[in-house]
Amino acid sequence: MLEKFMNMDRRIIFLLIALVVIIPTLIPVRMPITVSEPTQKLYNYIDTLPSGSTIMIAFDYGPSSLAEPEPMAKAVMQHCFSKGVKVIGMTLYPNTPTLAHKLMRKIAAENNAVYGEDYTFLGYRPGTLQVILGMGTNIASVFETDYEKTPITEIPMMENITNYDQIALLLDLAAGSSTEAWIVYANTRYGLKIGAGVTAVIIAQMYPYLQTGQLIGLMPGYLGAAEYEKLLNAPGDGTVGLNTASYAHLLIIGLVVLGNIAFFIHRRREA
Amino acid sequence: MKRQVPLALCFLFGIAMIFTQFVPHRYSQELYKEVIDWGLIISPFALALAVITLIQTHATRVRRRTEHWQYSFIVFAGIIIMVCVGVPFGEQNSVFVWLYDNVQVPMDATMFSLLAFFIASAAFRAFRARSFEATLLLITAMIVMLGNVPIGDLVWNKVMSWTPWADGASGTRQWILDILNSAARRGIILGVSLGVISQSIRIILGIERSYLGGGD
Repeated sequence: MLEKFMNMDRRIIFLLIALVVIIPTLIPVRMPITVSEPTQKLYNYIDTLPSGSTIMIAFDYGPSSLAEPEPMAKAVMQHCFSKGVKVIGMTLYPNTPTLAHKLMRKIAAENNAVYGEDYTFLGYRPGTLQVILGMGTNIASVFETDYEKTPITEIPMMENITNYDQIALLLDLAAGSSTEAWIVYANTRYGLKIGAGVTAVIIAQMYPYLQTGQLIGLMPGYLGAAEYEKLLNAPGDGTVGLNTASYAHLLIIGLVVLGNIAFFIHRRREA
Repeated sequence: MKRQVPLALCFLFGIAMIFTQFVPHRYSQELYKEVIDWGLIISPFALALAVITLIQTHATRVRRRTEHWQYSFIVFAGIIIMVCVGVPFGEQNSVFVWLYDNVQVPMDATMFSLLAFFIASAAFRAFRARSFEATLLLITAMIVMLGNVPIGDLVWNKVMSWTPWADGASGTRQWILDILNSAARRGIILGVSLGVISQSIRIILGIERSYLGGGD
């Protein structure tokens, strides 16, 4: 019996995972969310920006990991548009422009934001380091046109924006190591304020930068998206995703505990 | 010449870029901007090189009939279709966007989603408290996992209400991330940074030459 359990067919585990993902998605249960300090700091920073300020969002994730950063992008952009804060979008990932452009268009339409006046999307340029450093001296030297091929000089909201000096915050929505590149090159060299929204697997890497103040705030994975949505009082994809993740986490913890109990019983019997 | 010229260029540009970081003079800053502009021009060639390498790798697989060589034709088909649609008509062309939305996004998302299944299966089989270190890792991982989701606090408060650590899984998770994780991570960052500095000096001075290829 014990042997059988320890060598359980992995398809049973796959089926259990599928069930704990599908059922909470179809039947959502609202759970109490406590807002953590890093998310609260990011929210407070954006909330206190005066109307007319500009922030830049770097969509540094690909289609494979969009589930976590996309709800963050939605929540932050919704917050910005409601406050009259302008948003410049760009990406360091070659396979993201189509995704990010579509997302910005969608959120802007929901919030009555006008392209070129309230937001713009610059797209992608190759060379992470050169793009980050180049925009510090002159954004137009890196992006001569936006994603829709309009020259930067003809975009109304870019009229008074030359480089990072006119950007109040860079929010990096990341699924890789891009946040560290933004911190090292844009924050250290140009003093640009950096915030981040990262997938759960890289949260731990960000904490030293939070403590030094190099990151002004952080949205950690689904949790961060759901916390930001709670602060906005607008539950969305982050809250749904977090509820689903809750049951998946519980299942994995349960499996690990049961696996260990079986392991110890087996070891005692063998001894 | 094939070795001396790259070494000389590396030395010159390495020293020049260090110089620009510490000298705020106008000429120094203009040189800095110029080098960044050169970098922006050179970067797309790295992408072209990546595509060429990918094609070469898969062409070799087909030629040598290695395992699953047939899948390489799907790579070629993908490249040809996206280039034929994307290059002449642009990224915002409706066919390109349709292919991206309905082929690339679902495939990428599916590949990543599969991880959840494999992680669950691997955790059940391999995550065992076989030693003190493994037990420590196991307990820490479980606390962080519980603290990452709201249901974790509910479970924790029920199970741990009689202990001194009854302030919820999220509080304990935060403490682990703030104190234990940050201390270890900071050590890693410092170590890596010192390594990068020493390696950079070796490359600039021409001591480290492996980037030139050839094995010396």
